[in-house]
Amino acid sequence: MSYIRESVPSHSMKRQTLSNVLGMKKIDRESRETVGAITSSDTRISCRNVNVFYGEKQAINDLSLDIGNNEVISFIGPSGCGKSTFLRTLNRMNDTIPSCKVEGEIKIDDKDIYHRDMDVVPLRAQVGMVFQKPNPFPKSIYDNVAYGPRIHGLAVNKTELDEIVQNSLIKAGLWEEVKDRLDEPGTGLSGGQQQRLCIARTIAVNPEVILMDEPCSALDPIATAKIEQLIAELKERFTIVIVTHSMQQAARVSQRTAYFHMGHLIEVGDTNQIFTNPVHPLTEDYITGRFG
Amino acid sequence: MNNPATSADLRADNKASTFDIVQKSLAKRRSAERRFKAYGLTGIMLGLMFLLVLFTSIIGKGYTAFVQTQVKLDIYFDAEWLDPEHGGDDSLAKADYNGLIKKSLSTAFPEVTERRDKRDLYAMVSSGAGFLLREMVVTDKSLLGKTVPVWLPADDDIDMLMKGHIDREQDQANRRVNDKQLAWIDRLSQEARIEKHFNALFFTAGDSREPEMAGIRGALMGSLLTLIGTFLLSFPIGVATAVYLEEFAPINKFTDFIEVNINNLAAVPSIVFGLLGLAMFINFFGLPRSTPIIGCLVLTLMTLPTIIIAGRASLKSVPPSIREAALGMGASKLQTITHHVLPLAMPGMMTGSIIGMARALGETAPLLMIGMVAFIVDVPTSFTQPSTVLPVQIYLWADSPERAFVERTSAAIMVLLFFLISMNGLAVYLRRRYERRW
Amino acid sequence: MSPSILLILLLILAYVGFYAGKKRAVGCVEGKVKFLHSLPGFYGFYVSLWSVIPALLITLIWLIVEPVWMTQAVTAQLPEEMINLPPERLNLVLNDIRNVVNGSTLATQSDSVILDAASHYESLQSLSHWLMAIVTIGLSMACMWISCQRIHQHYRARNAVEKAVTGGMVICSTIAIFTTLGIVSSVAYESFLFFQSVPVFDFLFGLDWSPQTAMRSDQVGSSGAFGAIPLFTGTLLVSLIAMLVAVPIGLMSAIYLSEFAGPTFRATAKPTLEILAGIPTVVYGFFAALTVAPFIRETGEAMGLSVSSESALAAGLVMGVMIIPFVSSLSDDVINAVPQSLRDGAYALGATQAETIKQIIFPAALPGIVGSILLAVSRAIGETMILVMAAGLSANLTFNPFEAVTTVTVQIVTLLVGDQEFDSPKTLAAFALGLVLFVVTLMLNVFALYIVRKYREQYE
Repeated sequence: MSYIRESVPSHSMKRQTLSNVLGMKKIDRESRETVGAITSSDTRISCRNVNVFYGEKQAINDLSLDIGNNEVISFIGPSGCGKSTFLRTLNRMNDTIPSCKVEGEIKIDDKDIYHRDMDVVPLRAQVGMVFQKPNPFPKSIYDNVAYGPRIHGLAVNKTELDEIVQNSLIKAGLWEEVKDRLDEPGTGLSGGQQQRLCIARTIAVNPEVILMDEPCSALDPIATAKIEQLIAELKERFTIVIVTHSMQQAARVSQRTAYFHMGHLIEVGDTNQIFTNPVHPLTEDYITGRFG
Repeated sequence: MNNPATSADLRADNKASTFDIVQKSLAKRRSAERRFKAYGLTGIMLGLMFLLVLFTSIIGKGYTAFVQTQVKLDIYFDAEWLDPEHGGDDSLAKADYNGLIKKSLSTAFPEVTERRDKRDLYAMVSSGAGFLLREMVVTDKSLLGKTVPVWLPADDDIDMLMKGHIDREQDQANRRVNDKQLAWIDRLSQEARIEKHFNALFFTAGDSREPEMAGIRGALMGSLLTLIGTFLLSFPIGVATAVYLEEFAPINKFTDFIEVNINNLAAVPSIVFGLLGLAMFINFFGLPRSTPIIGCLVLTLMTLPTIIIAGRASLKSVPPSIREAALGMGASKLQTITHHVLPLAMPGMMTGSIIGMARALGETAPLLMIGMVAFIVDVPTSFTQPSTVLPVQIYLWADSPERAFVERTSAAIMVLLFFLISMNGLAVYLRRRYERRW
Repeated sequence: MSPSILLILLLILAYVGFYAGKKRAVGCVEGKVKFLHSLPGFYGFYVSLWSVIPALLITLIWLIVEPVWMTQAVTAQLPEEMINLPPERLNLVLNDIRNVVNGSTLATQSDSVILDAASHYESLQSLSHWLMAIVTIGLSMACMWISCQRIHQHYRARNAVEKAVTGGMVICSTIAIFTTLGIVSSVAYESFLFFQSVPVFDFLFGLDWSPQTAMRSDQVGSSGAFGAIPLFTGTLLVSLIAMLVAVPIGLMSAIYLSEFAGPTFRATAKPTLEILAGIPTVVYGFFAALTVAPFIRETGEAMGLSVSSESALAAGLVMGVMIIPFVSSLSDDVINAVPQSLRDGAYALGATQAETIKQIIFPAALPGIVGSILLAVSRAIGETMILVMAAGLSANLTFNPFEAVTTVTVQIVTLLVGDQEFDSPKTLAAFALGLVLFVVTLMLNVFALYIVRKYREQYE
């Protein structure tokens, strides 16, 4: 993997400050430069000039964004805009795709995750991920949650492991439903329960960041509501990055929202501002449903 | 959910972060990973090594069979000797050609007078060489009365000696070539009258008890006939069955039963098909034993499941939208299939059948059961003549005690493998060339 | 007229029928094809099917009945003392006659009675073939004419043709059933005959196998000579050795190829490995007998072990090598069928690839892998040529891999190859062994296919 390390381009930020000063002058529709504050006060993940390629095709264009500590940020945008791809670069899940190539700089707590010395195993333990479709292992509920702590050696003994499993299931809001059947296969649960099991599995490793790739798109509204409530609780302890198709969901769960379009980060800002007063015309089109 | 943080929870927070804990055991986990990967690579390498050893061993043993030691003799085609009664073609066909060779050898080695030595001398040229002279005379009668230098195959023991398989230093009693013969050979090679030439007989002759006269032509023809018959029977039946099961058959117990049967037949040991051929086709229907016709019936039944399964898979890969489009134009179901689905599925079906045919070409056990294991000298020309096939020929030769048959067996294996690899290569080519992803 | 010429004539008639039908159909509507119910070609097919299929059926029946009838006719003409021969001997004589007719025996080598009978046979045969030709061609033409007459403007030729084609396909697909039936009935019938002289119990549980001694008439059916236990243990031993080679190597290769290998390596290594599966078993047999067995014997002797020149180990090893690609490609399929989402789930938790494979993928794929191993076992049990050439014939009741053992398949081949009388217990024993082989592999296959199928459904 090659790395391009450049200083943060300041011109885009300058322009925005300028446009802010000039009183929210409308931005050209064709502009692909990020609108809004890409920085965050208490930075946990910092991305600068990230480019992602699938073979010849460029999926992410010169993307820079900071993600703050204990914040919930949601990525929205039409299908194929690169939001899932970008999410997967954050814990190097893209490594499993042979043709995928990442350029630029992504730092978590000042560690460059694409550095040669960086091992994906501790990285992924630190940055957990929840997928679109619930994917519990064909094991018991207990073993599903205990899997992560076991491989990483997080529990010294059985009692400690039991505690971790119980706590994770409690935090995932699943404990009351499954406490009597921890030996049953995780695949036997309902879709919403499976997804909460996957979240429990992720938090059992005690990560710092949780990436969620459209975690509710395969669920019914009631299960979705539960997951959203869960996210609200989890943000006390974790940084959460969520990709979603549903603008309502983004509005409900996140403090910040980033709008992606054709591999470009078009606009990022406070969720309220994005949904009530988008600056970039493309964002406005998408929010108001004029996108097409 | 509203539980306050438990002790473990707090401990986890107070303790080093997950990242640090993971870092500690990382080296161990990574080396376990490398070990595991090495096991996998070892597995593959072992497999590939076996393949390499197999091929080197076969080629190493067999490549010498493509040349054959030949002795140049001045043969006087004595008309009086061959045809003293002037009986024409008939008596020429029955004449004693080996006598010509013996005379020629006696002339070349006049010092050999003792009976036993003479026998050793005559034994140096293949006892089948007379047939070659007869061929020459029968095709060209003008040879009569002339003296012509002819390269004739040496006996297999001499051939083995020339190829270095018989140790010259060994004690004469344990050596198949005695000292006198060695001296004669040395004299012949000084005169450049004993040389290794391309072994054309190997490709043009049928089987023989004499290794130097034995060839694979008969077995190749038998294989060819059997394979043609098998293809002509199994391909149409296989395609029809695949089309029926995939496109027409209602889902019921009966079609389920057919499917179970086909899947099971694909895994039935081939020798059981041989038993079927023996009991059904030979003893019950009274078809002639040892013939390609039974061979292809048995191999058809054996390869049908392979072809059907491959055919169904390729029919399945044709997207339903094509069928719907044709049906929507008002084509009947049969027209839809013959005009649209089958042409698209055909490469896959051909690939499947070629692979099935390659399997049939290499099959031995069922053919042993139906008597294609007989010693047959003549090259078969029709489906009802007794014949053998290449793998069975290999089996027969592998059983022969003569040292020279080892290299011929290996050479026959090389020919068989050549055909198999070409067929599989063709299948791979077809798949690459016509494979579509929808 | 020979049957093949008749066949060609029938094909010509089919061709003629096609044009006759088409012409008549077009004639019906005075060339205005669009008024016809079906395309003109269908009328052609309709007539041509009618002119061939009944005629072909008659030919087939004729060819089946003919030899029976001819044998009777020829037997009746034989001299008195030959007719009164015991049936087996009479059969031999008839075989000689047939051989003379087919030209596989030189006419000069047979005696005059047989030559006379042969010429009688020949004249009868040519008469019969001529009759058959006349009947067949007559029938074909008659059917052609009748079917032509039935064509009119609204005749649904397409439906008729499609019905016939579908019918043909149904018949083709029942061949699989008939094959199974054929196997079961022929093997079971001969085994039934065998079990009349040797009790089933003695066969299945007897400890002594020496069919050669049973050739003598005073020993026919004597208990103990046909005890198949040594064959079963021999088969088990060799299969066990083969699986010990094939399963670890095959499985590890499959795991490496599907999980670790890069696309280029996979694209070259996988087909290369599969060459092992395409090599004919007779080649492996030759390799085992000529290269591996001596090598093992020498190594064994160097280590002070006594190794038989036809050891179970050599045969088993080579058979294992043959089965490697079988195990690896089946397991590869099974492993690839494990959904990517499970891998993603494990990777996202920070599992290494090896951990993911060992703890997630392997357990998930286990039923499928077990199924494919069972299929491989069935393959090993039924393998013949390697064992015939490398395992030997001595029926030792042993589990020592350095000794020679014999197997079910080897004994089937030895008992049936060569000129035996068909109904001696010796040959019948081969069918009884075949029955055991068929039943065992059938159970293994059905069970394994069931497991694999259930497994596939789980992830579809």
